[in-house]
Amino acid sequence: MAMVKSPNKQVNLFYSLDCEDLAHNVALQSPNIILQNIKWRSFADGFPNIYINNAEELRGQHVAFLASFSSPAHVFEQLSVIYALPRLFVASFTLVLPFFPTGSFERMEEEGDVATAFTLARMLSNIPISRGGPTSLVIYDIHALQERFYFGDEVLPLFETGIPLLKQRLSQLPDADNVVIAFPDDGAWKRFHKQFDHFSLVVCTKVREGDKRIVRLKEGNVSGHHVVIVDDLVQSGGTLIECQKVLAANGAAKVSAYVTHGVFPNQSWERFTHKKDTLENAFAYFWITDSCPLTVKAIANKAPFEVLSLAGSIANALQI
Amino acid sequence: MAATPPLQSFSVLHSNKPSHSLLRPSSNKNRTFFSFTSNLRCEIKGFDFESHRGWTIERVSDMSKDSTNSHTNPSSPLLSVSAVTSASQFPTKNAKKVVLFYCAETKALAEKIAAETDAIELRSISWGKFPDGFPNIFIPNAQGIRGMHVAFLASFSSPAVIFEQIPVIYALPKLFIASFTLVLPFFPTGTSERMEDEGDIATAFTLARLLSNIPISRGGPTSLVTFDIHALQERFYFGDNILPCFESGIPLLKRRLQDLPDSDNISVAFPDDGAWKRFHKQLQHFPTIVCAKVREGDQRIVRIKEGDPRGRHIVIVDDLVQSGGTLIECQKVLAAHGATKISAYVTHGIFPNKSWARFGHDNGGHPESAFTYFWITDSCPLTVKDVMNRPPFEILSLASSISASLQI
Repeated sequence: MAMVKSPNKQVNLFYSLDCEDLAHNVALQSPNIILQNIKWRSFADGFPNIYINNAEELRGQHVAFLASFSSPAHVFEQLSVIYALPRLFVASFTLVLPFFPTGSFERMEEEGDVATAFTLARMLSNIPISRGGPTSLVIYDIHALQERFYFGDEVLPLFETGIPLLKQRLSQLPDADNVVIAFPDDGAWKRFHKQFDHFSLVVCTKVREGDKRIVRLKEGNVSGHHVVIVDDLVQSGGTLIECQKVLAANGAAKVSAYVTHGVFPNQSWERFTHKKDTLENAFAYFWITDSCPLTVKAIANKAPFEVLSLAGSIANALQI
Repeated sequence: MAATPPLQSFSVLHSNKPSHSLLRPSSNKNRTFFSFTSNLRCEIKGFDFESHRGWTIERVSDMSKDSTNSHTNPSSPLLSVSAVTSASQFPTKNAKKVVLFYCAETKALAEKIAAETDAIELRSISWGKFPDGFPNIFIPNAQGIRGMHVAFLASFSSPAVIFEQIPVIYALPKLFIASFTLVLPFFPTGTSERMEDEGDIATAFTLARLLSNIPISRGGPTSLVTFDIHALQERFYFGDNILPCFESGIPLLKRRLQDLPDSDNISVAFPDDGAWKRFHKQLQHFPTIVCAKVREGDQRIVRIKEGDPRGRHIVIVDDLVQSGGTLIECQKVLAAHGATKISAYVTHGIFPNKSWARFGHDNGGHPESAFTYFWITDSCPLTVKDVMNRPPFEILSLASSISASLQI
């Protein structure tokens, strides 16, 4: 009784302008993914004037949109498309949002704090339901695990991770058997430690000494090892630099870093680039994914940065 | 205990009687006796079947009242009535107290609204940004607004500021407030709300969806106050989880027109049928002119479809202005057909890219080249800042209309 393999689902993939390169990479992964065009224009008053090409031909088809909310201005124009696509008699709608922006801090320390990520989750939870059912929402390495509960039942979140890409890359290193994984804080350890069962783990911690906040090695041994610091995202990068110093001071032979989301506001990635006079203090590698397209453009071909593409993982997610 | 009341009653009665005897001459004494007798008879008739004890209590009570009445001066009842009236008016004057939040763009308008009445209290919000550009917002004293009526004065002048204000709009109703009102004087539309093709995306509908999903406060759904929405059918974009209240700036225009020295020589012109449909009922006491855009070859020109502008001061009325091209074309046509003066009113002066600069002032009597007045409201704060004190522009403030809406 041989089971016949079911044919792969054909998906029409729309994308925001920032995500054009990633969309092309995703389409290269499979002949079942077809790129589609949107006309992104503005009226004189700055509001979007958007047109979806071939709208009627989407009827009965599986449709996806690859989004990038890199700034508040970009949210509204993409949201207009996201709210419109499911209504075109599509077989299903998938929203791929590799980086779910959080404004970094999702504290509710005081009544009156306004949680931006929750607002965004509300907006996405109100995507109209297509004829084929609720929207599937694909997100990579969401900042905090509890954020998965921000979404209402009208949307189906699928939480993916970029860690498999890192592990594959680490296995290709010449010193692959000398790599240990370091987490900059307990939060990162909680998020990722289960995915690194076969690696030695190191945990750092921030402690207060007087007015200073310094990073200290909490547990684990780095002496003589190539240490890879792992976190979900990087902003200005201050924490990673402090970790690197501490790890080097404790005898690490090399220090590298991986973050899924290289946010790097205000060109802050520049502090990581290899400069001649500080080479011995630098990172050996700094891996990011292409979840933040603006950063990918900015750091192209600049050591120590290397981009691990999410294209294959996204192509697989679109087949679910 | 039953014995106690009669004793008290007797005691009171006894003490009253000597007092009267001592104070009054014999003639007054007779009158008092007469009153007493009258009361007594009345009571007997009224309480034929009362028990003895009940009878006693009632009589004492009447005696007391009678005594009071005999000392009342004529003005006392009037004062009493006046006091009652004043008391009933008190709740009306002390209108619903509303806490009004605002964003940076709407601060000036918010201050005007608060100046209209003591019932509106302004509160500020801490508008910050994280390094990655996303909002970092804090509502100070959030617990202090529990049980209060709360409003937010919004201005969606660009896609970026929408995403800054939406988090506040979604957060305020959740703070155990009595009710939430969103005041959005201008509901932005991107001007063209066509769905000519499947595939056109109506951004106004996207915005209506965002607002229809404002969380419901403990006091019920959000009220949404907006002025002269671009097309009447847009009212149906809102779901049932929000209560839209559609207001108009036209009353402000009518009041202003009455103040003009030539107020009896005003005619109203509409640049197209759409504007006529929207506003003609509110302006039916003015002679009306309707213009139309017609195609002649490759050109689109404006023509007078109906009405006569000769010798009149014409006020062109529309809900909004963008670059202003249509208004200028209308102005030329109306001047060519004999208008003595031309003015314009739009509720929403959008004027992207400083396009207000093309509107000059006629400096008394050149309708073919410039406007006498150009009225806008303060629904678009950025424009108000630009055109303040620049003839022909004049701002008619929505502050009093908004203040009144907040009392609904």
